[in-house]
Amino acid sequence: MKKVTALLVAMALCLAALAGCAQSKPQDAPPANADQPAAPADTSSDPVTVTVWHDGDEGIMQTIADQVNAQLADDQITVVFEKKTDMPNQLKLYGSDAANAPDMYFYAHDVLGSFVAMDILAPLSDVTDTGILADHLPMTVEAGQIGGKQYLLPVYFETLVFLYNKALWEGDIPGTTEELYDYMVSHTDAAAGTYAVVNQHTNAYNVSPFINGFGGYIIDENAKPGLTDPKTIEAAAYNQKFGALQADGDYNTVTTLFNEGKAAAIIGGPWLVSGIEAAGIDYGIASLSDIKLPNGSGLAPFSGIQGAGVLKVALAEKKDAVAKVLTAMASPEVGVDLAVKSGCAPANNKSYDDPQVAAKEMISVIQKTASTAQPMPNIPEMGSMWGPVESMLTAINKNGADPAQAAADAQAAAEQAIADMQ
Amino acid sequence: MEQKRIWKPWLYCVPALLLILIVIVFPIVYTGYISLTNMNLYHWTDYSFIGLSNYARALFKFDSGFLSALGTTLVWTVLNMVIQIGAGFFIALGLNAPGLRLKRVYKTLLMVPWAVPAYISILLWRVGMFNTEFGILNKFLSLLGLGKVDFLAGNAIAFLSCMALNLWMALPFMISTIDGALQSVDSSLYESATLDGAGFWVRTRFITVPAIRPIIAPAAVMTTFITFKQFDIIYLLTQQRGYMTGATLNTVITYAHQNAFASNNYGLSSAVSMLLFVVIILFSIMTNRSLREDQA
Repeated sequence: MKKVTALLVAMALCLAALAGCAQSKPQDAPPANADQPAAPADTSSDPVTVTVWHDGDEGIMQTIADQVNAQLADDQITVVFEKKTDMPNQLKLYGSDAANAPDMYFYAHDVLGSFVAMDILAPLSDVTDTGILADHLPMTVEAGQIGGKQYLLPVYFETLVFLYNKALWEGDIPGTTEELYDYMVSHTDAAAGTYAVVNQHTNAYNVSPFINGFGGYIIDENAKPGLTDPKTIEAAAYNQKFGALQADGDYNTVTTLFNEGKAAAIIGGPWLVSGIEAAGIDYGIASLSDIKLPNGSGLAPFSGIQGAGVLKVALAEKKDAVAKVLTAMASPEVGVDLAVKSGCAPANNKSYDDPQVAAKEMISVIQKTASTAQPMPNIPEMGSMWGPVESMLTAINKNGADPAQAAADAQAAAEQAIADMQ
Repeated sequence: MEQKRIWKPWLYCVPALLLILIVIVFPIVYTGYISLTNMNLYHWTDYSFIGLSNYARALFKFDSGFLSALGTTLVWTVLNMVIQIGAGFFIALGLNAPGLRLKRVYKTLLMVPWAVPAYISILLWRVGMFNTEFGILNKFLSLLGLGKVDFLAGNAIAFLSCMALNLWMALPFMISTIDGALQSVDSSLYESATLDGAGFWVRTRFITVPAIRPIIAPAAVMTTFITFKQFDIIYLLTQQRGYMTGATLNTVITYAHQNAFASNNYGLSSAVSMLLFVVIILFSIMTNRSLREDQA
């Protein structure tokens, strides 16, 4: 009897161990090959749920979902946003798996190239008429294109601005970087832990206002790293003296310094505002494009365009529903809601006609900065650039390395990283 | 009947073998398979067999940077293990000192660093301990009228800072293992030795150490491997994107991550993983052999 029981337990264990390998819903699984032409899709009036993966602020996603769902209530289409930690990597794993992939994703445009290279995204023209983008800011539309095809529906965009504590800042915001540096020298006491301006001075995104403003670049459209470009080196060397007066430069340190009133100003984005308001700081906002470099150009930060892309695997069954979701997301109403409720700068130009949007200081400053801001490169190779650029800036700002040598080392590392992608 | 006797034990072992097959063997074999393909961002689903070329590229990566990382890893492992076993032993002895009050409370408190998730501990130390503006160490230094120190900026100081955190996180395991081993030593041996005039050091050398060595040896070997393949402490304290500190300290694992895994080239990354796997297996064989010689 004992032997029989032992055998039965052993068999039950085997079955339990293998149970997890079973497909969840094999009978419902759509065709695995996403390249197959889309079948005539959801023409019935059955309710349809469109799943969107994201890795952003849940309040912002809820604002989008509420507006889109309200517009599509009659069509019985519901958009559900699902937050996924490290969403780009999760999408790389599941993007071509019809059983587990979402129908759409929502993220910044700089990862677009990787997804297109993996062939998991459908161009928007395969889903709907791209005329829905006619009122969008050209910069946001272009950021969503790869090889002339539109893959990303831009919804809102963000860039760096100059945020200052009105109680601490003395006088006007300087009009040039040299004046800003003089102010920093006279108002920084690192030993006492008080700073005039803080910035993540070893982060490529936060140093982009200098690099782009000097005419340098991180990587060009042909995937050629530009770290040894003389303009890039000049920008990194110029940023060094600012970095020396900006504390450690990591995100937690600089935001805490500003929120605790130990730094009078911070270079950051709209994502800092909720923390600043929670800290009870009376803050002002200035555009970086109004602060001129020695060459006469305004600081030119990167801009990140947040938007939605469509997974190929969604076309088989939900093409029509996804098309309606895209149309609703592109509407000015979504932009207005995002601006009013979450302080986001809409990609749709018509949203700015709304007086509530026009009254938002952060949004008008971001819109102004858009004149000099440059969208982050969206080619797949950009993903391999962040590490080398940060190593270069860290070597220069924290270890006092020679900018030209640090740039040469980082360029070699970047070229190797790009070669390793192949 | 004879045949039944042969297959029946195997049948009973099937669940465990199946589990080992799925959890351990399959990932290794699959990684080995991927390492022979060109699976990367541009060939995500349509990858093909390319032979050993990824291994040739991976070996090319094992350049002077890798040798320096290997040297750092060996120093890191030896120093950490010597301090862990030494400090763990004396702390455990102290916790077993006769007449020590509240020893259970101390033992429970010593478990806290081990119980806290590694990521949380590392984050706490990075911001709460080492940070130049808010860290306790710099607050203490400024109270003494000294200047700020960036504990993670240079290689030497970052190495010591990482080691301090690793010891804080790993010591509880060693202490509890040695503490458990000490309970198994027959107290009559100490009594006899004391009557024979043996002091603390003699009792420790000739009774305690030989008695607990077979018990703590497996824990020491296991901890050696964990220390050798340490990734999270060094990566999260000094190399995480957005938090690079200026230290260029690398162990073999952080070096491999920096050079292969960040590229989204799964074929190349798998080849590097397989080579590291071979290094660790060789290390394991050497350790087990020296352990057997010790026991003999």
